Amino acid sequence: MMLSTGSYSSKCMQKEMGHIQNNKPFNNLFLHNKTAGADEIQIDDSIIKTLGERKKHMCIKKGNDSSPACNKASIPGTVTQRSCVYGGARVVLMPVTDAIHLVHGPIGCAACTWDIRGSRSSDDDLYKSGFSTNLEEKDIVFGGENKLLETIIELNKLYNPAAIFVYSTCVVGLIGDDLKSVAKKASELTKCRVIPVQSEGFRAVNKSLGHQLACDAMLDYLIGSGEVKNPSKYDMNIVGEFNVAGDLWDIKPLFKNIGVNVLCAITGDSKVEDIAAAHMAKLNVVQCQKSSNYLAARMEEKYGIPFLKVNFFGIEETSNSLRNVAKFFHDPGMIKKTEKLIESEIWRIRAEISKYREKLTGKKVAVYVGGNKAWSLIRAFEELGMEVIMTGTQNGLPEDYERIRETVKDGTLVVDDANSMELARLLKKYKPDLIVSGAKEKYLSLKLGIPFCDFNHDRISSFAGFQGFINFAKEVDRAVSSPVWNLTPKKCSGVKENAG
Amino acid sequence: MQDNMIKTENLCILDKKFAVINPCKMCQPMGAVQALLGVKGAMPIIHGSQGCSTYMRFQLCRHFREPINVSSTSMSEGTVVYGGEGNLLKALSTIWKEYNPEIIGVTSSCLTETIGDDMALIIKKFKNSHPDEDLPPIVPINTPSYSGSHVDGYDKAVKSLVENLAHPEGKNKKINIIPGMISSGDVAEIKNMLDELNVGSIFLTDNSESLNAPLNDDVAFLPDEGAEVEEIRDSANSIATISLSKHADSAAMFLQKKYGIKSISGPLPVGIRNTDQFIGYITKITGTKIPKSIEKDRGIMIDAIVDAHPYNYDREVAIYGDPDVVTGMARFICELGMIPSVVCTGTQSSRFVQDMENIAEENDFSPVILAGRDLYDLHQQIKCMDLELLIGNSYGARIAKSEDIPLLRMGFPVYDRLGAQRISILGYKAGIRMVDIITNTILENYYDESGHEFTNFNEISC
Repeated sequence: MMLSTGSYSSKCMQKEMGHIQNNKPFNNLFLHNKTAGADEIQIDDSIIKTLGERKKHMCIKKGNDSSPACNKASIPGTVTQRSCVYGGARVVLMPVTDAIHLVHGPIGCAACTWDIRGSRSSDDDLYKSGFSTNLEEKDIVFGGENKLLETIIELNKLYNPAAIFVYSTCVVGLIGDDLKSVAKKASELTKCRVIPVQSEGFRAVNKSLGHQLACDAMLDYLIGSGEVKNPSKYDMNIVGEFNVAGDLWDIKPLFKNIGVNVLCAITGDSKVEDIAAAHMAKLNVVQCQKSSNYLAARMEEKYGIPFLKVNFFGIEETSNSLRNVAKFFHDPGMIKKTEKLIESEIWRIRAEISKYREKLTGKKVAVYVGGNKAWSLIRAFEELGMEVIMTGTQNGLPEDYERIRETVKDGTLVVDDANSMELARLLKKYKPDLIVSGAKEKYLSLKLGIPFCDFNHDRISSFAGFQGFINFAKEVDRAVSSPVWNLTPKKCSGVKENAG
Repeated sequence: MQDNMIKTENLCILDKKFAVINPCKMCQPMGAVQALLGVKGAMPIIHGSQGCSTYMRFQLCRHFREPINVSSTSMSEGTVVYGGEGNLLKALSTIWKEYNPEIIGVTSSCLTETIGDDMALIIKKFKNSHPDEDLPPIVPINTPSYSGSHVDGYDKAVKSLVENLAHPEGKNKKINIIPGMISSGDVAEIKNMLDELNVGSIFLTDNSESLNAPLNDDVAFLPDEGAEVEEIRDSANSIATISLSKHADSAAMFLQKKYGIKSISGPLPVGIRNTDQFIGYITKITGTKIPKSIEKDRGIMIDAIVDAHPYNYDREVAIYGDPDVVTGMARFICELGMIPSVVCTGTQSSRFVQDMENIAEENDFSPVILAGRDLYDLHQQIKCMDLELLIGNSYGARIAKSEDIPLLRMGFPVYDRLGAQRISILGYKAGIRMVDIITNTILENYYDESGHEFTNFNEISC
């Protein structure tokens, strides 16, 4: 099955590996990793000075016994990059386009988070509005259930939406509003799907629980309640694909080309009825494995739908993901089509990619993100000739760090829940040529004169699939190669020296 | 794409009673944090869930395009059950050791207010457990997110700073200025005017350089510019306090009551009359003469307004945002000959309503005044009017697009254009630029390339 097409990427990978091994800034620091079990590893002061209890949250990857401690509460007082359980739930559900996303709580929870998901819609724009019950002092004293019920009834009357997701926030959990019973009553009164999401912000130490609660809401209230009109044996869902900057629109055509019918993306560019019928798929593929493995596993348990982990960032990862799907469907025609597609796509983009590779080869990258991107981007960077010297996530679980360990080369610094001070220290010391992160880290790195690429909600172009890989390369080049960096103080001396 | 923005049947009746749709306000801690970011060496900490500080940092970063650090006590289920004391004590210790701040501002949240944490008491405990250490001042700011808005949060933060730090000791001949939530550029405009007037000042607080900083290959973890703790202490010795924003005058009232320092509240010096009023206060309080340079700027601004008047006259405008910015802009818009037909703020405020009614009476028009309402209500009103310009933050961009009206961005947040921290509207100098910007927006949208006004030919019968 691995025909000539596969060798393009593996060849260039081999070339890069040699290069990477020599250039790791941390290679000579292996000795500093203590040899005890994973939990005992402490980062050495020579790499970064930080609080004692933070030292075990960072390590240098070496063989199989190096993972940082994780999934622990952040130290109070640090500027953590983490968010809350509500934040986790909203990132999973808010891309559902024809639903109202009603935040039950004081105004701030909705006011700071509406229309910031960055996921695009091909049709409905209801999900872009911010809805809140605006709980006030009297509601905190007397309870917010009535206000919630009235709000749902009012919103249903105004919009007649496909569903209303109701998110609970910290204070709702404290005053004890019974979200489920209000949702049930509202659903009976309005005949609209009213779906409670028990996402009180404080329920866990990071947002991972929120992802799970969002998946539970879909499993309990949505999936299995609708049906597909014309089912086919090649129906598939893409789970954990949120269509940020239009990623889905670069993935879907690939599947159409090989004859796979994408029933529904959960939840990018989705409609409520698509998700309701998602149980009729023959296969789930999981893109964001951080947020959505749980959903796929539960759908397998409940509906017997097998799932595959996929990754559409990078040429090799996209190719292998397509191959694995074709292999799953056991259709020789599809397998053939897939190889043909991969070959022609790689042929199509190769000239442009090598143009960028030439400029980017040897550049060092630091990745610090919220989800699966801490490992799923590594190969993509290697395909551009770049080397990842640091990777990490704000909310990784042990299995996430296992994936990271499987993916990164020896000598890569792996960080868990790095706070903003630690990031600043690491960036200043190791001066990567690029950092890939989200909006909160953007101006920290730019101020340090370090090129930045947003791979979060705020990015401007799709990065998935073959076409997305070109956008990605272009975006990375735009960040790294811009002449603006020649003006920064370290490159360009001050006014006086330049005069005359 | 389906436009789902306004679904009400009868547009002109504001019949939405319960839901807030597309909020025009944020919660109290957001305002408190913004005030603290104007204090040199200050570390703001939100006593609550991590999401509060993280999402606020996100909003502040994308508006100011600066690194913003706000720490969190990272409350979670286990700690909520037993109260937040342990987390707050630990947080104070971490911040003190790790970040070495000159001052720590602790704001509460809905979570910690509801579980009843007594922050002042916990801070006292922390101090008592470090009797021999040289601790920075630690200021508690009660900002329950379920009451008021970010505007109140700013007000409370400045008040807490003054209450906790102001210390009478002689006289300093300075004027305290409480800016309210305005851009770095606007604070700089006021500072420049005071320099020209040769009047010493204490800004409570001052984001002019902390949130508009040069790139120097380094990153200031805490604001390395801004109001100094010593200056806040000295605010008890000033001649007077001018709160540029009326909704940020609690600290001024406190100083007046406790130390007899005269308090003057607003209006925000936007446009000719409001700026005249501000300059008038200063000259009256200090006895200083108005310098020629300021007279000249005022003259140029009037010249610009006169040059612009044929293009602007009678055009109807909607303004939304924080109450003082809206009333300030409304009066200025009237000076240009335009009509602010709809004004909207998310903050409940009788002061705002009263101010708008006064402006309406002064200029003989009857605006729709929306206080404590949201952008849905604003949009609904816009739909049943014939408006030609929207003025407000980036959240109105979808309304502007949907109604095909140009949007002039100002206020908070402005995240879809560059330079939000430098958008300035205060005083004569910024006023001159603003007259040009507003008028050019009108020219760009309603006049063709040879300068002729677009005409709706369908309405003309030949």
